[in-house]
Amino acid sequence: MAYKMPTQKYSGKILEVNVGSDLKLGGESVLPFYSFDGDIGNKPAIGMEIWDIFPESWPAGVLDVFKEVADEPVKWAKHCVEKYNPDFICIKFEGASPDGLNKSVEECAEVAKRLAENVSVPLVIAGCPNNEKNAKLFTKIAESLPNKNYVFLSAVESNYKEVAAAVGLAYGNVVAAESSVDLNLAKQLNILITQLGVKPDKMVMNPGCAAVGYGFEYAVTTMDRIRLAALEQNDATLQMPMILPVSFESWKVKESVVSEEEIPEWGPQEERGIAMEISTAVGVLAAGANAVILRHPRSVEVVRNFITEMTE
Amino acid sequence: MARFLTIGERIHVISPTIRKALQERNPEPIIARAREQVEAGANYLDVNIGPADRDGEELMPWAIKILQEEFPDTPLCLDTANMKAIEAGIKVYDRKAGKPIINSADAGPRLDMVNLAAEYDAMVIGLCAKEGIPRDNDERMMYCTQILERAMEAGLDPENILFDPLFVVLKGMQDKQQEVLEAVRQISEMGLLTTGGLSNVSNGCPKELRGLIEATFCAMAIQCGLTSAIINPLDKLVINVIKTADLIKGRTLYADSYLDL
Repeated sequence: MAYKMPTQKYSGKILEVNVGSDLKLGGESVLPFYSFDGDIGNKPAIGMEIWDIFPESWPAGVLDVFKEVADEPVKWAKHCVEKYNPDFICIKFEGASPDGLNKSVEECAEVAKRLAENVSVPLVIAGCPNNEKNAKLFTKIAESLPNKNYVFLSAVESNYKEVAAAVGLAYGNVVAAESSVDLNLAKQLNILITQLGVKPDKMVMNPGCAAVGYGFEYAVTTMDRIRLAALEQNDATLQMPMILPVSFESWKVKESVVSEEEIPEWGPQEERGIAMEISTAVGVLAAGANAVILRHPRSVEVVRNFITEMTE
Repeated sequence: MARFLTIGERIHVISPTIRKALQERNPEPIIARAREQVEAGANYLDVNIGPADRDGEELMPWAIKILQEEFPDTPLCLDTANMKAIEAGIKVYDRKAGKPIINSADAGPRLDMVNLAAEYDAMVIGLCAKEGIPRDNDERMMYCTQILERAMEAGLDPENILFDPLFVVLKGMQDKQQEVLEAVRQISEMGLLTTGGLSNVSNGCPKELRGLIEATFCAMAIQCGLTSAIINPLDKLVINVIKTADLIKGRTLYADSYLDL
């Protein structure tokens, strides 16, 4: 009798969520890259992170790459799209932070609008470290960019009502529900947001990211368990695609920040930062991430090759 | 591990409202009963049309059609001793939401229901009984094995059979309760799926106690391996105990709002 390869079938399936006009996330009914078991859905997407202000706090290794264009978000975004071809641009409104420049939400919405008009790929709108400000910021931006299917990163426990109501209900964009490496809260937040009336296919999740070596095992096992609940238990509250802002974490850890002069035996700083970013991205992709956000062009290239090798 | 499966029992010919609606082919009372059960969270709905010797072949397809039209996402459990009625029902049944369950086969005159399930790729409840209530667990397990053997011969996968050890009434048969739970355990240890009618247990008890008795029995039976039950889904206590047991069994992931789902 001919050998028949056993396959693992699941009762659940990850939702397919549209981002922008033609980027699709999710849709898989098997574990990440398990094409031998069934349908792996859409290829994981890669986004590049830009800021609304010049990113002086970025480590030299990645700042040097963008310093000529990073003074203006549209210029920066176009540079990324033309040179590195990401699937989306993640604009982070660091300038909105009340502890920083405290830019008005109107001013930020103008930037978002100009980006939307001038950039050919979809946007992911990320906020500042202040959740209260983010609620107002996201409301304003969603209002000025209605029905774009842009992802707003993120609705958290303290602001989900405002964010979900504006982004997901009133203005037809996609809500990212963010929890910090807490499986039960991830599920709870999804339930609460859908109870407000947001459709699950207008949602993605960020279950919490960490750089490799910094509680990363917690992050990936949380992702694993979310995926297993979604597939094995057919848990409809956890079947949204996952988006992981890898660069937010990987470029602030010691390995990426410390200069070569300080610790010569660690080698070139830029190489280390890239290595941290790539390892983190590949790790979360293998745990089920449907989209990752990266900074360095070299990381984009390597992670894209990885995804291509795993899916084609 | 799959979640606990609930089968809503409230579309039953024993209810005067349903009996009348079935006789008159009046969809509304049946739809109303179905709706309240679906909204309460029943996974399957049992459709009991009684023996229906006279018009079962026409009645069962009628009932299935009106229910599936209204509730396309809720699979059904076809409940009658009339084999021809079951067969006619399966022929019009839309499988989109899940396989039909035949309720039920036994080790006696209704053993052929197993073949019907095999022929039409349906699921079937296998009552571990022949005539009346089995005397003890030796009998139960013998009937269980007979049903299983018939299924193997007919080419029906064991995962398509829900073995029902026959729950018995608490008031009057207290001494048999542990035995029934033990039967659930023995059947489960064979890797088989189980079910049972919870209302059997609380039969004859005051209304205000029935939910408590059923919920307690159900929780104890779940610990013995029970994988589904025929329940009154309108009983909040029973439904909530089942949802909580699913958490404790690790079949669903905890969230503060789990009872809302």
